[in-house]
Amino acid sequence: MKGVLVKDLYIARSNIFVTIVSLVVLGFGLAFLLEISALLVLAPAAATTAAFISITSDAASGWNKNVITMPVPRNQIIGEKFLFYILLAVLGTLAALVPCAVIACFGMKITLYSLLLYGTIGMSICLLAGGISLPCAYLFDPEKSQIVFMMSFMAGAGIITGLVLFINVLFPVKENVLLAFNIVLIISAIWFFISYRIAVKVYQKRDIS
Amino acid sequence: MTNAFMVSGLTKTYQDFTLDHVSFTVPSGTIVGLIGENGAGKSTTINAALGLIQKEDGIVSILDREELDGDVKEQIGIVFDGSNYPEILSPRKLNRVMKNIYRTWDEQAYLRLLKQFSLPADKQIKQFSKGMKMKLAISVAFSHHSRLLILDEATSGLDPVVRDDILDMLLNFVQDEEHSILVSSHITSDLEKIADYIVFIHEGKVVFEKPKDELTERYGILKCGAVQFDGLDKSDIISYRKMDYEWQILVSDRGRMQKKYPKTLIVPATIDEIMLLYVKGEKAEN
Repeated sequence: MKGVLVKDLYIARSNIFVTIVSLVVLGFGLAFLLEISALLVLAPAAATTAAFISITSDAASGWNKNVITMPVPRNQIIGEKFLFYILLAVLGTLAALVPCAVIACFGMKITLYSLLLYGTIGMSICLLAGGISLPCAYLFDPEKSQIVFMMSFMAGAGIITGLVLFINVLFPVKENVLLAFNIVLIISAIWFFISYRIAVKVYQKRDIS
Repeated sequence: MTNAFMVSGLTKTYQDFTLDHVSFTVPSGTIVGLIGENGAGKSTTINAALGLIQKEDGIVSILDREELDGDVKEQIGIVFDGSNYPEILSPRKLNRVMKNIYRTWDEQAYLRLLKQFSLPADKQIKQFSKGMKMKLAISVAFSHHSRLLILDEATSGLDPVVRDDILDMLLNFVQDEEHSILVSSHITSDLEKIADYIVFIHEGKVVFEKPKDELTERYGILKCGAVQFDGLDKSDIISYRKMDYEWQILVSDRGRMQKKYPKTLIVPATIDEIMLLYVKGEKAEN
């Protein structure tokens, strides 16, 4: 799996660099207009675009066919993409924390509560979206999967809204905002794992030619 | 003699094509050429054998193992048409990728091959010509101590000089009789130079599996007129074609046929001509 991950890091390297710099610059720019920690909602999603660049590149170059003939099991090929996606999301979150930390050093008030809340929302959207779009990348052709990728973030935001409304039925969300979004994050993580299992199952039987 | 590669009764059905119980072997230490027109089933056979597509029936044995696990894959070098590596990578970056994929990766051998092929190590693959990409794919296949090489239309689209270089490498590869090669191609002149056996696939079925020398030294094309054709024993005819001014008849033993029909002209048949007569020729009715 390590070799495939190295390959993806090479493919996505320039994109990762551009995304991180953009997030840092955007963070400093936004700091004067709104709460900078809100950048954590956007950061993981922005960073994971590199995962789809690598999926598109794999399909275009014929790597998908080649890698099957190498000593890398199919479940590891899929597992690597999910791992790569998570790594990018974490990297995006860390990149967004840089301007937050710098601004905080200059005395601007950034609370741990807001960092946790926005970080949780950002990661939840990312996991839900990845859980939808990553398996689809192996079911559809690259063009369709790119559309699914873009739609999946909207779907992720919609699912979060639905989950929060449902949790609100169980207990008042307004009084337990962080707890509610932590539950959403756990559900998103479970969904992402189930999605990985489904993708592995689908890919095991899939004809690659 | 053991077999490095064996398929038996390999079957795969598509809407408009069926790979129909394909069986053949690649004995250890030999080069086997898989020939057939485009769409005959050569790539489908290779893809099914390598697990790229799910087979419906049949047995595949590679290096004496029916299960194509990581250990077996370590010992197989595959070269498809085109490089099939991410074009943004350079050969040097590809080396780092492969080092982490193959346990048996030989970095020194890889760098030596890059030098031998005059491939720039730090240039992106997308800037390579088709010949360079093919040389790179072959360098990769040769750099993890493969015992079996499988080349699927790897030499098509290459100029004769590059093809000749590659054919020389393949011949060197099997010198120690531990290594074997399955090469699918419709450039039969290449296979005439290097193959020990020829497997001919047509419309998803194996038409024949024969030593190349038998084809080139014994097969022949009997050329005659209509009257002579009518006088031929139809059981001697594999297939025939009526051309503008003559009949061309494929026979499996040109020496015996020359004795039997001394007034006819019988010329040696190339693999191309054999393939053509099998595909486009008609079968004689006894």
